[in-house]
Amino acid sequence: MGITVTGVAKTFGSFAALHGIDLDAQPGEFLALLGPSGSGKTTLLRIIAGLEFPDAGTVAFDNEDVTGRPVSERGVGFVFQQYALFRHMTIADNIAFGLTVRPRRDRPAKAEIARRVDELLDLVQLPGLGGRYPAQLSGGQRQRVALARALAVEPRFLLLDEPFGALDAKVRKDLRRWLRGLHDRLGLTSIFVTHDQEEALELADRVVVMDHGVIEQVAPPADIYDRPASAFVFGFVGESNCLPVTVRAGRAWHHDIDLGAAEAPDGPANAWFRPHDVVADDTGIPATVLLARPKNGLTRIEAQVAGIDKPFEADLATAPAVGATVHLRPFRFRIFPA
Amino acid sequence: MTRAKRSVLPGFGLTLGLTLAYLSIVVLIPLSTVFLKSAGMGPADFARVAFSERAVAAYRLSFGAALAAAAVNAVFGMLVAWVLVRYRFIGRRFVSAIVDLPFALPTAVAGIALTALWAADGWIGQYLAPLGIKVAYTSLGVTIALVFVGLPFVVRSVEPVLEDVGRDLEEAAASLGAGRFTIFRRVILPAIGPALLTGFALAFARGVGEYGSVIFIAGNLPYKTEIAPLLIVTQLEQYDYAGATAIATVMLLLAFAMLLAVNLTQVWRRRRMER
Repeated sequence: MGITVTGVAKTFGSFAALHGIDLDAQPGEFLALLGPSGSGKTTLLRIIAGLEFPDAGTVAFDNEDVTGRPVSERGVGFVFQQYALFRHMTIADNIAFGLTVRPRRDRPAKAEIARRVDELLDLVQLPGLGGRYPAQLSGGQRQRVALARALAVEPRFLLLDEPFGALDAKVRKDLRRWLRGLHDRLGLTSIFVTHDQEEALELADRVVVMDHGVIEQVAPPADIYDRPASAFVFGFVGESNCLPVTVRAGRAWHHDIDLGAAEAPDGPANAWFRPHDVVADDTGIPATVLLARPKNGLTRIEAQVAGIDKPFEADLATAPAVGATVHLRPFRFRIFPA
Repeated sequence: MTRAKRSVLPGFGLTLGLTLAYLSIVVLIPLSTVFLKSAGMGPADFARVAFSERAVAAYRLSFGAALAAAAVNAVFGMLVAWVLVRYRFIGRRFVSAIVDLPFALPTAVAGIALTALWAADGWIGQYLAPLGIKVAYTSLGVTIALVFVGLPFVVRSVEPVLEDVGRDLEEAAASLGAGRFTIFRRVILPAIGPALLTGFALAFARGVGEYGSVIFIAGNLPYKTEIAPLLIVTQLEQYDYAGATAIATVMLLLAFAMLLAVNLTQVWRRRRMER
């Protein structure tokens, strides 16, 4: 049930956008496709929608293969980053579009369409704006109209391509909270694409992290943050530091400093850790403080460790002086192959 | 005492003055002499010359052929613009350059080439002649010449707007269940409508005034294939300046009325969407 993607691959010219993607969305689930640009997340969403067709693999809706079906026959609602509203139509006509293009025998009566439009305008909290034109609305309002238009055809699934990408920060935050509430109320299986990790973690039931056309991890937001499956996920979601270490007999060593137990085979590796999982400790790694500023009641420092290009970030309880040497010890870290 | 509204854009007074002066010298004064010249003759004489049977037939041909040619160009010019905007193919820039050729070519050259093609013994004409279709020296030939000179106007007007419409509008319509024809009729056509109308109007205006490319292929039979601009030249060759300007006045008024109608349609449309 839900959406099932099996072995989907796609190449544009010589650029491989997706390599053998397997993914499923459970009924009623809110799924986020998260990744940097070029990771293939939008291509995957467009293949699920039927706006692109895969070179290999299948897409199934509720166990029914829809791979070859065009978007107009898939019954999905698609919301675009730039709204894609019809500028020459009123808001009401925009929302009614999906109903009015139906063949005559399936088309609801005029009065019924008008009633549905009013209902949807209420749903997206724009009552009475049906007579306006898109150019007269703000970005946030336009995106809600685009959503109402997609919902008007009662789609089986809702697909959103960077739905908040064109909005400013405040509107973005309000709208995504509202969208989550709407999703919970409608219970519609939804997938949205975003490059904003905060958005993905706040909104989704499960987050799909993608990079270079492959899925790195699929997990609930808390697991993505606390138990990243790869160095890429650790680095992409949340703030992180990366320290080269050597694993010997189940312990991680940075030169002659013992960082603690590590479940990894012997040999060179990288230890990844969050800035808030670091303490200052005389036995830690020596580093020169470049910058210190208050953050959330602690002091965020940037410090240079000898032999490592990117300065470390750490949140400490006491504020060291800039230029001083501190000893940093990560008390929680994960080991990934170097 | 009122103070002029301050604006960061400099010199409204100066630029408007220049605009008006320029338009007056280049357009309005020459056109008004047409009226002054023709006003020299009495109303009866004016009507006799301007609405003679021969003149009316010439107006009908000029405006009819220009309208037909502009309509043909509206359809095919839109198609060309569509292909140039939507697809990336080898030789696209070359095709794009070809579109502008009718602008650059001396129209007489085009007229001679077209006649050679479409005459009863020409490259294309020889295959049409057995079918009983005559192109050169008929009103059909006039229309073809006007199609040739009018094409760039439609393509160049529609192209940027089509570029602006973007693929996602079409995709949005498709995702809502619309078929290709519905998408074209309800999404694309309304969006490019104003530009298409502008291109149509420009092609039409050019067609009405076109002279060089038409006179070769038209054959210039009075009452049949004689265009109005040619009639004016004929009058001038007979030193009948008043007669020539009388015909010009009628053409000017007709063309102005049609262009005004097109512009008013645009204004009405825009007001409806109140940006």
